[in-house]
Amino acid sequence: MQLRDKSEAGQFIVLAEMEPPKGVDINKFTANAIRVKEQVDAFVVPEMNSAVMRMSSLGASLILQHKGLPTVMQVNCRDRNRLALQADLLAAGASGVENIMAVTGEDPSFGDHHEASAVYDIDLIRLLSTIQGMAKGKDMAGVDLIGAPSFFCGSTVNANVRGKALQLEIEEMERKIEAGARFFVTPPVFDMADLDEFLQKAPRDKIKILPTVLLLKSVGMARYIDRHSDHVSVGQGLIKRIMTASDKARECAQIAADTIAAAKQAGMDGVAIATLGWEHMLPQVLNLKPTESLDTRQDDPNTSWGKHAGGK
Amino acid sequence: MIVASPKPIEEVINTVKDCKKLLILGCNECVTVCEAGGKKEVGILASALRMYFAKQGQQILIEERTLERQCDHEYLEEIRDIADTYDAILSLACGVGVQFTAEKYLSTVVLPGVNTCFLGATEERGLWTERCQACGSCVLASTGGICPVSRCAKRVLNGPCGGSTKGKCEISKEVDCAWQLIVDRLTALGKMDEYEQIAPLKDWSTDRAGGPRKVAKEDVQS
Ligand code: SF4
Ligand code: SF4
Repeated sequence: MQLRDKSEAGQFIVLAEMEPPKGVDINKFTANAIRVKEQVDAFVVPEMNSAVMRMSSLGASLILQHKGLPTVMQVNCRDRNRLALQADLLAAGASGVENIMAVTGEDPSFGDHHEASAVYDIDLIRLLSTIQGMAKGKDMAGVDLIGAPSFFCGSTVNANVRGKALQLEIEEMERKIEAGARFFVTPPVFDMADLDEFLQKAPRDKIKILPTVLLLKSVGMARYIDRHSDHVSVGQGLIKRIMTASDKARECAQIAADTIAAAKQAGMDGVAIATLGWEHMLPQVLNLKPTESLDTRQDDPNTSWGKHAGGK
Repeated sequence: MIVASPKPIEEVINTVKDCKKLLILGCNECVTVCEAGGKKEVGILASALRMYFAKQGQQILIEERTLERQCDHEYLEEIRDIADTYDAILSLACGVGVQFTAEKYLSTVVLPGVNTCFLGATEERGLWTERCQACGSCVLASTGGICPVSRCAKRVLNGPCGGSTKGKCEISKEVDCAWQLIVDRLTALGKMDEYEQIAPLKDWSTDRAGGPRKVAKEDVQS
């Protein structure tokens, strides 16, 4: 079932991020995706996450599409001007890509080519409305397209912010919806209750909200995120779980599996699983049975509300 | 200097039309030299607006003032007593002056009256051309003192693109090919051996790629 249909039918959506290779060896990339194709509705192919140079989302998406794997191609405003963005969207549309996730893109200073110049010819709202316009058969210059691409389009929302920042985020979200976004991926969420305030304000009837389920890789990573990411909290409960586990990698996969189950239980529209290069762990994440008691909040007195994460 | 050009009068009218009392604020520096926002242009714009609104039968009090600089706290202080008596200040300074004025007088609307265009020079009376884009790491030493960043349409850094024809740029017969100028100059200086060397990879993080920039000179900071 296509992502759009599944979304319209109100079924639980599972997206999995597949980081394209930094190089031309695509064996692991495709093998990791094929392994979980039955459990994943579409593979999100990031466009140079964190401004680290890799294979483009278009190229990597097409590689997966040719293997019969549905993708969500990412487009960002950082690397391409309006000509290149539209050109890539046409190429994607003609080659079977049906889903697009439009993002702003992190500044090059975050990546591995920090002297690169950024483009930002158009902003995210414009990019979304361009995609919408192309579906109606026109390019940004108003010229007719010979065949219009039709995409199921989404973006990101920084659902973890609070107070005034949340209000702004919701307004921004409304603008994105107006411009055609139909699903929203949040920053990593480890406790679905963190989304309560956001969910109360978000226009849920119009769109799908997919919390990111981030596969932790170690205690160090969990601690680092907890301390340094303003918008994401992992919580002491989970950190302790990894710390005391004999097989730490398995425990991390178990935590991700539990988080997916918790998302289902909390009535989320789906999840977007991010493994940041550990895509070989996806089968475990998707097949492990959730732990009986899901409520990790009880032994987590330090849940840090009000932290922020980079919802670019 | 910073080169600016007056905004179209229709655009200005549209931004000030709801004011009852307006101050047009000129600047004595760059925008005076490029005849976009000095005392003279303040007077011309004020007259044009007065005439327009009188014709419309609209009451609007328009006053004129020109400061030594608008990008300097000291001179901006001179309007401290009167700034909030206006519905809006229409600044004819460059974008820096407009913003500095707006930062200082938070309760008054500050509007731009010019389009800030580039860093350039007076070629002849009434003609200003671009010379620099403030890229933050100047390459003029190796390009015969001619800037490929601001003067080459494609910002190429290792000799001309394929579009250079008879010394002109492919974008227009009116525009000199920067690389033709560079080659001619290096030839005249007997420095063509430098031209053969591949330019180091340009660091755009000192340009706009690294976000808003600042320059700090600690030895003079108080
Ligand atoms: S190289 Fe950079 S700093 Fe030097 S003149 Fe050109 S734009 Fe200005
Ligand atoms: S013709 Fe000359 S100035 Fe124009 S883009 Fe090419 S190299 Fe640059």
